[in-house]
Amino acid sequence: MPYSAEISRTNPGCFIFLIDQSGSMIEPISGGDGRRKCDIVSDSINRLLHNLIIKCARGEGIRDFYELAVVGYGATVAPGFSGPLAGRDIVALSEVANNPARVEERVKDLDDGAGGVIQQKTKFPVWFEPIAKGTTPMGAALDLAHHLLTGWCQSHNYSYPPIVINISDGEATDFGPEPQAEALTTLHTSDGNVLLLNIHISGENLTPIVFPDSDEDLPDEFARTLFEVSSPLPANMRELAKNENLTLGEEARGFAFNADMIELIRFLDIGTRSSTMR
Amino acid sequence: MEPTVQVFWTPKKGNSQEEYEDAFGCAVEEGRFAIADGATESSFAEIWSTILTQKFISAPPEGQPPEHQSLINWVAPLQKEWHSNIMWDRLPWFAEEKARKGAFATFLGMEFNEEEEVEEGIMDKLLFMFKKQKNTGPRWRALTIGDSNMYQIRDDELITSWPLTKGIQFTHRPTLISSNPTANETVWDHFIYETGEFEEGDTFILATDAIAKWFLDRVELGEKPWHVLNKIKSEEDFSNLVAELRSGLKMQNDDTTIISIHWEESSADD
Repeated sequence: MPYSAEISRTNPGCFIFLIDQSGSMIEPISGGDGRRKCDIVSDSINRLLHNLIIKCARGEGIRDFYELAVVGYGATVAPGFSGPLAGRDIVALSEVANNPARVEERVKDLDDGAGGVIQQKTKFPVWFEPIAKGTTPMGAALDLAHHLLTGWCQSHNYSYPPIVINISDGEATDFGPEPQAEALTTLHTSDGNVLLLNIHISGENLTPIVFPDSDEDLPDEFARTLFEVSSPLPANMRELAKNENLTLGEEARGFAFNADMIELIRFLDIGTRSSTMR
Repeated sequence: MEPTVQVFWTPKKGNSQEEYEDAFGCAVEEGRFAIADGATESSFAEIWSTILTQKFISAPPEGQPPEHQSLINWVAPLQKEWHSNIMWDRLPWFAEEKARKGAFATFLGMEFNEEEEVEEGIMDKLLFMFKKQKNTGPRWRALTIGDSNMYQIRDDELITSWPLTKGIQFTHRPTLISSNPTANETVWDHFIYETGEFEEGDTFILATDAIAKWFLDRVELGEKPWHVLNKIKSEEDFSNLVAELRSGLKMQNDDTTIISIHWEESSADD
């Protein structure tokens, strides 16, 4: 059965995050209390990496159940890590854990159990900075992912297939993304083809469409194109989505349109939370 | 009577022996045995499972069955011991954050008493008087949380499967006892206590979840899996059996541990 490989240090999983860094990412995101899209996306990616590291931490170290890359696309298309990992593409999770660009101290509001709020200081490691400049070369970003994963799939034939998550707020400006996405999703391991999940974030207060199983309710050609190039969700991700009280069909695609801040975080969580890690 | 005790364990495939997170403890003279399965998602789980089993065989919780407060009092010093075993100062940020969440484990402890005055309620006493049965004899007592399991075999039949009785009852989310006190608020009701009698010739098997599930799956198919286990004479035999069952998808790839206790006539009784 495809998409059932156990994720282990011998056969690690792989994530590639493609992040739109075009000029429009400076605008506020829906549901974000005026915060910029680029800030919310970079916070979400940093928090996701943090959670993945904690999940894979054992004793004094990290078990390398995952390898990952972050690619930014806007004025340039390039690996997006800051700090010691700048310029690096796919890196093992332990390297990510040991090399944040910096560790911020943030204050988190917690329920005090008596109707009040107490504030707690927490560490917030940063690997990826907000950038908003240039156009939307989504096709080139998908090409870079294809380039990175061609070798990876060959050397990890028994691994769970790589998961590519593309976060954008607009249309590709470089004749993408169909041919590049099609090439990317034909790459495969023995457990299945590369999964491409697309999330479109919006600044407008529109109803998000999450994990649709047809393009019927999609508003325009741009949305239908992103739907078309998004992978059908494998069974384990459909189960995770159902556990989040989402209603979705057997043919649901890894796609969200007009997502607000909450849907962005939920989408990333479902896309990266495997149930088969050992 | 005296017990012949055998323990076999093997780590999950792909992990080293140092990464084995189950634990076992045997105090044969005292008739106490325990196993625990440290949750692999947590950090320093092997320390926690070891502390639980070693403490049980040296000083189990008071009471038959132990009350909530007795369990809380029993676990509290073990949590401190776990905490003091970790070199907090040398942990990198992520390891410290993970460890602060605490370690988690299942646990199953058993105590055997050959001649025991059983503590009972008034109804039990009346029942015994009615049946004119003697109120003493070899008895076992067991305490558990989670999905480690115990089997009692007599005259080549499985007479006790405890606390789980069907393979389907093994889930990936058993209730676990934590080294972090704040994670234990709702667990005390999930501790289960049981007692029963035993006699010469009985065999008890204490097993962590992967092999415990395989055992019940085979029983449900009408087989007698203890025949397979009886043939195991060495760690190598056990590792080979587990590897074969894993590759045939009959057993989950997980740390795997059994304690086998066979009661027979003691040499002093001859």
